[in-house]
Amino acid sequence: MDPDALAKAFVEHYYSTFDTNRNNLANLYQEGSMLSFEGQKIQGSHNIVAKLTSLPFQQCQHSITTVDSQPSGVNAAMLVFVSGNLQLAGEQHALKFSQMFHLIPTPQGSYYVLNDIFRLNYA
Amino acid sequence: MDPDASAKAFVEQYYSTFDTNRNNLPCSLSRLRRSWCQHSITTVDSQPSAVNSAMLVFVSGNLQLAGEQHSLKFSQMFHLIPTPQGSYYVLNDIFRLNYA
Repeated sequence: MDPDALAKAFVEHYYSTFDTNRNNLANLYQEGSMLSFEGQKIQGSHNIVAKLTSLPFQQCQHSITTVDSQPSGVNAAMLVFVSGNLQLAGEQHALKFSQMFHLIPTPQGSYYVLNDIFRLNYA
Repeated sequence: MDPDASAKAFVEQYYSTFDTNRNNLPCSLSRLRRSWCQHSITTVDSQPSAVNSAMLVFVSGNLQLAGEQHSLKFSQMFHLIPTPQGSYYVLNDIFRLNYA
């Protein structure tokens, strides 16, 4: 599969999972994974999912505006850079966000997130 | 140097160079039409990457272009690889304007 198609497939899967059941994101991270969430640094799959499930909203919907991907130099790893809108339940206006993922291939032929950096884009 | 400090030092050097002399950056960037621009950085996040001492840097900020009253918002990520000389080079660079 071409890298852009892979990146788009990953992005659709990640945000669909985030928006329906954040606990299932645990499968996409490993113990060495790192999340920077609005500057807060969190390491490890368990801690990352604990952070994401503790966010102060029950329902959200990501809509993706742009997806850019590049091979990251190590064997078949990929950098994915996403921008979009995050609509929270009960809020009239969506928030803008940017996020980057560093995806590492697994022996099973899939990918896991090694690096994840998320920022809201304030006007 | 701690990774966050390295990332901030790189970001300051990169955008200062961009804003003063784009010719020292990749050729395509020096062809941008505006006579000058000014980056102001809002956030810098960094994490160690998979390869030895490599670093991922994620920047957000404002880009003020010559002759424009309002600045544009942007996000950019760099994948920095250490050089034998003890510095870094940019392996991956992805830039996006963030439209309101």
